Amino acid sequence: MRASWVTALGLAGLLCAGGASGQEITIGVTMGTTGPGASLGINYKNAFQLMPNAIDGVPIKYVILEDGSDPTAAAKNARQLVAENHVDALMGAVSVPSTTQIALIAEETKTPLIALAPVALPPEKLGWVFIVPQPVPLMMGAVVDDLKSKSIKTVGYIGFSDSWGDLVLKALKQSADPAGIKIVDEERYARADTAVTGQIVKILIAKPDAVVVGGSGTGGALPQIALRDRGYKGPVYHNHGTINREFIKVGGAAVDGAIAPTGPLMVAEELPDSHPVKKVAVDFDQAYEKIFGAGSRNAFAGYSYDGFLLLKAAIPAALKAGKPGTPEFRQALRDALESGQAVVGVHGVYTQTKSDHIGLDGRAVVLAVVDGGAWRLLKK
Amino acid sequence: MKARLPPMIAIAAIAAAPLLLSDYYIILMNYIGLASLVALGLVLLTGVAGLTSFGQAAFVGLGAYATAVVTTRYGWSPWLGLAVGMTLTATAALFLGFITLRLSDQYLPLGTIAWGISIYFAFGNLVFLGEHSGIPGIPPLSLFGWTIDTGWRLYLVIWLVVLLALLAARNLLDSRIGRAIRTLNGHARMAESFGVDTGRLKIIVFVYSALLASLAGWLYAHFLRYVSPSPFGINAGIDYLFMAVIGGSGHIWGAVAGASILTLMREWLKDILPHLLGRNGNYEIIVFGLLVVLLLHRTSSGLMPFLVRMLPGGRLLRPVAAAPLPQRPRLARGETLLAIDRVSKSFGAIGAVRELSFELKAGGIVGLIGPNGAGKSTVFNLATGLLPVTAGSIMFRGQRIERLGSREIAELGIARTFQHPNLLADRSALENAAIGAHLRGEAGLIAASLRLERAEEARLRDEAARQLERVGLGANLHDAAGSLPLGSQRILEIARALCADPLLLLLDEPAAGLRHLEKQALAALLRDLRDDGVSILLVEHDMNFLMGLADRVLVMEFGRLIADGPPHAVQSDPAVLEAYLGVAA
Amino acid sequence: MNLDIALWLSQDAITNGAVYALLAIALVLVYTVTRIIFVPQGEFISFAALSLASLQAGQVPGTVYLLIAGGILVVAADSVGLPRAVALQRLPGRLIRQMALPLAAGGIAWWSASRPDDLWLQIVATLAIVTPLGPMVYRLAFQPIAHASVLVLLIVAVAVHYVLTGMGLVFFGGEGLRSNPYSSLSFNVGVLNVTAQSLLIVFASVTLMAALWFVFERTLYGKALNATAINRTGAQLIGVSPSFSGQLSFALAAFIAAISGLLIAPTTTVYYDTGFLISLKGFVGATVGGMASYPLAVVGSLLVGFLEAGSSFWWSAFKDSLVFTLIVPVLLWRSLATPHSEGDERQ
Repeated sequence: MRASWVTALGLAGLLCAGGASGQEITIGVTMGTTGPGASLGINYKNAFQLMPNAIDGVPIKYVILEDGSDPTAAAKNARQLVAENHVDALMGAVSVPSTTQIALIAEETKTPLIALAPVALPPEKLGWVFIVPQPVPLMMGAVVDDLKSKSIKTVGYIGFSDSWGDLVLKALKQSADPAGIKIVDEERYARADTAVTGQIVKILIAKPDAVVVGGSGTGGALPQIALRDRGYKGPVYHNHGTINREFIKVGGAAVDGAIAPTGPLMVAEELPDSHPVKKVAVDFDQAYEKIFGAGSRNAFAGYSYDGFLLLKAAIPAALKAGKPGTPEFRQALRDALESGQAVVGVHGVYTQTKSDHIGLDGRAVVLAVVDGGAWRLLKK
Repeated sequence: MKARLPPMIAIAAIAAAPLLLSDYYIILMNYIGLASLVALGLVLLTGVAGLTSFGQAAFVGLGAYATAVVTTRYGWSPWLGLAVGMTLTATAALFLGFITLRLSDQYLPLGTIAWGISIYFAFGNLVFLGEHSGIPGIPPLSLFGWTIDTGWRLYLVIWLVVLLALLAARNLLDSRIGRAIRTLNGHARMAESFGVDTGRLKIIVFVYSALLASLAGWLYAHFLRYVSPSPFGINAGIDYLFMAVIGGSGHIWGAVAGASILTLMREWLKDILPHLLGRNGNYEIIVFGLLVVLLLHRTSSGLMPFLVRMLPGGRLLRPVAAAPLPQRPRLARGETLLAIDRVSKSFGAIGAVRELSFELKAGGIVGLIGPNGAGKSTVFNLATGLLPVTAGSIMFRGQRIERLGSREIAELGIARTFQHPNLLADRSALENAAIGAHLRGEAGLIAASLRLERAEEARLRDEAARQLERVGLGANLHDAAGSLPLGSQRILEIARALCADPLLLLLDEPAAGLRHLEKQALAALLRDLRDDGVSILLVEHDMNFLMGLADRVLVMEFGRLIADGPPHAVQSDPAVLEAYLGVAA
Repeated sequence: MNLDIALWLSQDAITNGAVYALLAIALVLVYTVTRIIFVPQGEFISFAALSLASLQAGQVPGTVYLLIAGGILVVAADSVGLPRAVALQRLPGRLIRQMALPLAAGGIAWWSASRPDDLWLQIVATLAIVTPLGPMVYRLAFQPIAHASVLVLLIVAVAVHYVLTGMGLVFFGGEGLRSNPYSSLSFNVGVLNVTAQSLLIVFASVTLMAALWFVFERTLYGKALNATAINRTGAQLIGVSPSFSGQLSFALAAFIAAISGLLIAPTTTVYYDTGFLISLKGFVGATVGGMASYPLAVVGSLLVGFLEAGSSFWWSAFKDSLVFTLIVPVLLWRSLATPHSEGDERQ
């Protein structure tokens, strides 16, 4: 009985091979709402509830697959989306390894990919890959600028022992060295660690003027709490992966004064009206918080949404060149994505060209500070 | 052996798949193929040898990272990457096996969990391994100028490797070494007493399974062209084990079944569950976990037996006659065979054997009797090296053996049966008997996998069949040992011992559970063996059985010898009567 | 490295080691009584810490529903195989017996969720939710295969770990939670800044260990468990049912895990999958004692604590690699100290 059930499943699998295409744009998404990247992935995925079902009257379908934050599964998903769902564009994923893995497939199958996390590939391998998040060096550059303005000479670093911790440290070094700021200690910790005492003690011995934390989400709070417990008085900086309300909930009073770079959407209301991103960001924040509750705004949902805005700006031109589901359409979509058109998103203004598949500038960075239990714009 | 048809159908289906399946399903099949290789290693390790590892994913990672570094950092050939990966894996597995496999069975899984976690963090923190972001840009494989970069080309390569690995595993299990591996699952003492080096064999099986995983890792790296730490973490290791368990860890095709079921179910659950439940959440994990629990509640042998049962079985024949194996030269009657001199054995404060001394001459049948707990089985265990003596010496043909292990003693020509039949219940009588002939063959794992040992194997199987026929089990060659009546199982134990070509045969209650006629047949067999030059020492309760058979009877009580002589003299010995009846005669 | 640092690190090592030691004791207890290597222990830690944090946020944690569903499943499992009439006749009694505790725990949880400032009530509610989950897991997952090999039991334990982790994500989401500190007191002893929190951890661990010792040596139930651990068949002959000792050992294990969860909840951010890694460290500790000796398990856990504190100071990127590599010299030592294989023979 059990055996025949298995056979039936097998047959069903063979039969459901083959997909539909036609006058409909299909966007394939892979992301991990479970596994180690779950806390970010859920936010990334939430944004899809805000996305419209048609662009220029052409229906648009989102196929969202779960990869459990595992690059192998992400690759499998990307293959499925391309081969079975005949998607016109890919979006994803949550972690650097997963995104790198699907970028390889996007290149191979000539499918435009809107990368929602940084990619560990050299630019010449990114012909079909368009990156949404601010490059980590851009963000950490803003942090270093702030350090400089406060005449800080030495910093200690403590970051996740994962690809995010690697990236933040690399970017920090990249900006700190020319600015004459010395990184006097580098430490690592894991999200599931129960204590970071050893690392913090070592940082305290090095007596840095400031500490930079390379964690993300609530995980970023642990080192700061430990630093304050041990009586560290200097400023503590975080990164753009840290900013959400749960960070403050977990950190409580200890994270008061924490500074982090972020996209404009986190503090959109406080921006001057002249800021080009303000209107789009405020609209997004309101729409998002209407569904997910006050204070639920976060950078990750913003990345998904900006990815959609990039596609939305490129799709009309691509529709003129070919029908969705055809290689011509995908080619035209890529060409339109790198046409140099300025797209205003919630994180910044994207001007993606043939030579620059990120296209963000200083308008994509603001510094925020925890003040009175909420993230506020850091006034210079 | 078993029906050849079903595997042929499976192979034909695999060959035809590229023509029938969509591109995506070809790619899925590639994933299944890679997982099958890893699961196959676990089938051998867990299902056959009764050991388990949660660290197989780490070996996959070792294979993948080795070739990634070799090809991207140094621009060497992927083949060199394979060699480096295999070498690293073998070294790591040897070391892990060495430190855990001497301990009891739960230490290998514990050790491999720790190993899997350590190596995951090591991959992620070493700069030359690309830290957590991994190593991109791994070149595709290339064979005779043919670049293997598209789905169906990879499919051909991966499945060719899988089929070859399955073939090698099948060959291996159907060989002398394969039978020895099966004994590792709870029969190590028995196997040792027939000369199987179980400690070494455990390590060999573990290394073999690790190498299969490493091979999968090599293919993985050139298939996905990018490696990063997360696919090689502890959860992936657990997944592989689940594949082997769900598919059926006792059957090599269970690896393919398990890998297919888990991979395909995950695909469909991924599509279906969000619609059913309408929420985010790791429901697949819950469903898989529940499935494994429910499955193991019903059977620990997975789904494969259900599949096999639906298939037609083939007709099984007696192995063809082959040149008989060489026999040990028989001893002259009356030569001193075994000399036990003031041997004692105590367990804590309890003396099971006390200052026991006796000698056995070649060419006789000697009975060893005594009430329960007299120490008879302990004497057998001391003489066969299963237990170390506390004091005294044991000589076999003039050589001291009390410090030797079971294996060395088996090599000298002592074979035994066990009081409780110690048989592989689900294997055929023929295979069980052939285990006895372990020391009469020498082909190893590689020869067996490549089928280079068929001539020797034919002689071993023929010998097993002849001994079974000799003891009267000729009609039951292919019956599972566990399905035989208890009496026949004891007889099968004798056939297995005879396959070892012993000079001295130690039989522990061979007649228990036999009917009258069967006992007569057994007595005839034992006489026949004696005439053939085999000396026999048997523990027996049934005095009447011994009376007509034994040349001499030894009586033990409380670990001491209380009588020694011809049966009728012993029967009327007052000390014996008192021991048995509790009355002074 | 000077004395101050050594003292700081030792304080940290002892605090963490105390938690690992509790877990190691629970693992040894469950293993000796049931031969199960209890991997899902870690999930109970997460469940306890996250349930506490949810209650403090004024929410009824999802674990309550798990508990109630589990109670119903146990009743169903007990009724399977009985003739229908018998099953129906026994149903009311069973429902009362099996459902009383879950429903009571649910009630306390509801009450507690409406009183976010009542810390004692929250602690009671958390213990009432998590402790009964232990025997339920034993009844549903392990009791039907209590005689299976260590290997099969281990695989089932890992499967249960999967199920509970998945449920943890459903109940508590992917983000971590942290509960309010029990006390923000701290005082200086020489260079050391000792928090009341860390004293509480050590004090609670030592008290619990002493209580367990008392239970084992002085009470009937404890002696029954001890007897089962020493000789399963013998214990059965003198009337200790293996199902009973199995459920009792799981209840104790879940209780210990719940206490551990309550102790770490205010000191760190707990995620749905945090418990796994913590309990694995308890494992490394228990392995030092060969999964059989309580004192050695405690020593091993403290060793893990010290190694962790030391490596997080010197070489933090490889901390977890180092902690889990500790098992290598331990196994090597055990292996060289063992003359031959301890493998159990099937007869």
